Amino acid sequence: FRACSMSRVFFYFFEILKYILPETMPSYKLTYFDTQGFAEVSRQLFALSDTPFEDNRLPREEWPEYQKCTPFGKMPVLEVDGQKLPQSFAIARFLARKFGFAGKTEWEQAWVDALGDQFKDYLNAFLPFFRVAFGTATGDLEAMKKSDGEPIRDNFFGILEKQAKDNGSTGFLVGSSLTWIDLIVADHMGVVEYHLPHFLDGFPEVQRVRRNVIETPKIKEWLEKRPERPY
Amino acid sequence: MPVYKFYYFPVRSLGEVVRQIFKLAEVDFEDVRIEDKNWPEFKDQTPFGQMPVLEVDGKPIPQSFAIARYIASQHGLAGKTPFEAAWVDAMADQWRDFRFEFRNYWYIFMGYWEGDAEAAKAKHAFSARDKFYPLIVNQLKENGSGFLVGDSATWIDLLISDQAVTINKELPGFLDAYPEVIAHAAKVRAIPQIAKWIETRPETR
Repeated sequence: FRACSMSRVFFYFFEILKYILPETMPSYKLTYFDTQGFAEVSRQLFALSDTPFEDNRLPREEWPEYQKCTPFGKMPVLEVDGQKLPQSFAIARFLARKFGFAGKTEWEQAWVDALGDQFKDYLNAFLPFFRVAFGTATGDLEAMKKSDGEPIRDNFFGILEKQAKDNGSTGFLVGSSLTWIDLIVADHMGVVEYHLPHFLDGFPEVQRVRRNVIETPKIKEWLEKRPERPY
Repeated sequence: MPVYKFYYFPVRSLGEVVRQIFKLAEVDFEDVRIEDKNWPEFKDQTPFGQMPVLEVDGKPIPQSFAIARYIASQHGLAGKTPFEAAWVDAMADQWRDFRFEFRNYWYIFMGYWEGDAEAAKAKHAFSARDKFYPLIVNQLKENGSGFLVGDSATWIDLLISDQAVTINKELPGFLDAYPEVIAHAAKVRAIPQIAKWIETRPETR
């Protein structure tokens, strides 16, 4: 019932290609709006691992048509040899595990997952205030900062601060190398500070994690060449 | 085998999927249920001030899906390939998105939040349901095995089935337009280890 025949064509094309050339690397296409948003962590995983991918930034006017071809009516969607995968964290975890940025043991992976889900809970609570700060919703910014923004921030970033410290103040939230939760937190902090300067000054360990991410050579290179968008 | 202690409130809700993973995997665990009145004291001992928490040989891990995935992965209940595992994760996160909207009604209905239940129902319940459950029906149809991902039960089957039965029990008829979801839940609950657990577990909401 969906007019998604082109993606079926690509899927069968890749199935045939895999049969002829079984050792070819999978082809990746990531589709999202032309913003960082929920796709940025996956874009950074491709950059970190030097994996080519099609960074398909969909113009807003094409979204209603494309939406019909998405598994859950949402973006991002990752295509791996034409096979679709929705949900930003499922995509990020899949890529991170493949490329080695998901945590080095099952226990570390579980902790990365736990912090990721805690971030999602935090973001859901934080967004009503944050949208007012963006200017995409109306409200009394100063009042909401006191009643919502600051307490919600302190609860979550307090958790991160403790986690970073307990992890040895290494500049990683989990383990001793970059994981996708470091990327998510660093990107989010950039977006927050762009709209609310100094809002996250009170979290030195987390700031250390963020610096660690943005100074990682492949991330630094990506940040320099990616399109700059406000969020 | 590590020593597992699972801490949650005396309800099913977000914790039941983990209990069912242990049962399906036939792995022993201590099912610790913390009453509301004892929670404030216990809260500060948890990593995030929340439950559920799983202790593995005394070391804690929070967040229900992180726990679920950690245990399920070690016992073949998280998908047979990385791509299947990713689809299990995607469906779980889609359920989570559904729940975030649905709870605007559900939590008032269950008495956790204040508010006008009927108004909340009209505003949130039907739209949340009708955005989510067609995806489940479609996935069951496309996958074709009777399970949501792959050809055997994974933790997403446990999550979706328990939630569907809970909703249908508290709101009779609410899922009438989705008989495939009810059938799926019945199939999962008929798995011997799950059927036995349902018979023997504490009766709660």
